[in-house]
Amino acid sequence: MEMLRAIAIGLPLTVLVTVLALMIGTVLALPIVAGLRSRNRILWLVSRLLVDLLRGVPPVVWLFILYYGVSIGAIRLTALQAGVLGLGVVAAAYLAEIFRGAISSIPKGQWEASSALGFHRATVWSRIIGPQTARAVVPAYTTFAIGLLKDSSIASSIGVAEIVFMSSQYARQSGEGIMVFFVAAGVYIILSVPLGLLSRHLDVKMRKAVAR
Amino acid sequence: MIEPNIRTGTPVVRVTNLAKAYGSNVVLRDVSLTVPEGSVTAMIGPSGAGKSTVLRCMNLLEQPDSGEIEIDGHRINAGRKPNPKNLAALRRSAGMVFQHFNLFPHMTVLRNISLPQERVLGRSRDEANEKSMELLKRMGLAEKADQYPSRCSGGQQQRIAIARALALGPRVMLFDEPTSALDPEVGVEVLEVMKELASTGMTMVVVTHEMAFAGNVADELVVMADGGIIEKGEPGQILQDPQHDRTRRFLRAVLER
Repeated sequence: MEMLRAIAIGLPLTVLVTVLALMIGTVLALPIVAGLRSRNRILWLVSRLLVDLLRGVPPVVWLFILYYGVSIGAIRLTALQAGVLGLGVVAAAYLAEIFRGAISSIPKGQWEASSALGFHRATVWSRIIGPQTARAVVPAYTTFAIGLLKDSSIASSIGVAEIVFMSSQYARQSGEGIMVFFVAAGVYIILSVPLGLLSRHLDVKMRKAVAR
Repeated sequence: MIEPNIRTGTPVVRVTNLAKAYGSNVVLRDVSLTVPEGSVTAMIGPSGAGKSTVLRCMNLLEQPDSGEIEIDGHRINAGRKPNPKNLAALRRSAGMVFQHFNLFPHMTVLRNISLPQERVLGRSRDEANEKSMELLKRMGLAEKADQYPSRCSGGQQQRIAIARALALGPRVMLFDEPTSALDPEVGVEVLEVMKELASTGMTMVVVTHEMAFAGNVADELVVMADGGIIEKGEPGQILQDPQHDRTRRFLRAVLER
């Protein structure tokens, strides 16, 4: 019972870290995609280097840097802030690549038809390319979200009291060892399976409508 | 080269001294072409001759290196960066039909035709839908309005694409190999629609390999090879008695197979 209580206390933080990091990542990914698609060589290079830097360093190192290394004046990040921000910016780099791939999977003819019809750029993005990109991105995006859900456990390394943190604390205090981690694993599965199902459901539904 | 027929119709499309190259690969050399109002111009020639490139330059889907394009009085000089307003006006005057239809797969047939009217001409949704349905009926496709394009055959998709372009009230219709991606039997549906369109006096430029269409429907035939126009004039005359050796070789290849 104590064991379940420990995990139940960790659960909200796991969900919170995942959701916030995903939101930050999604929003930050958009300007990075714009940079990666830019014809301006400087913008492109900056975005490219940023993505490679964010992806090239292990997330746990980013968390350490943000948690222990950042002190701007009186501002110091809390463990939760550092965890969300760190996972968020790393997510931005991966999501930018996912979005870029989805955009370039849209056939060239869609752009040409849009130009020939005389659509403005904003209309092309909001009505033609955007919606088709959103459809193309669903499978990769949910796969990434499920990965992020599990990677949120990295935040335990700087003391965010999420599922893994609470589990290892319980294991040490109770001396019951491995059992709590099996329960934690079950909870992760229970969280991620519905996400996967939802993704496949959406994907099939949208494919039915627009299958070429 | 034969002198082009001189007709009385005012030119809707005028292309002057168009040239384009990718590095050392010259795709167009000094192409000039005039399309009088109400006429049908067919462009034929071996693949790689530059027919599609000329057509795609007409509405600036492809940027020529030099030359001048004028459609319905909207003039664009290839050397300079086009003024966006002028470019939009030129594109509004020209309807484009692609080899691969390029319908929007995430919208119903009706939305495909109505959205451009709403966005480009500022029509209300009701006005646009009314116009779309009128065109779908004319294409014999009224019952497809609420389907997605993927549920339509290639011939139907191409006719929907024609309706989408017509809905914007273009002064000229540009067809880029409209039947090349279709089975011959299905292509006929599309050719019928194009014939009907020609008979109503629509100005048309058609890049095609359909020799019967080029011979029977077109008022002017343009033969291209190696990035240039090698012959142009009355279709019957060119098909019967080509002046240029390159034309003769090409016609032999397409007609005697």
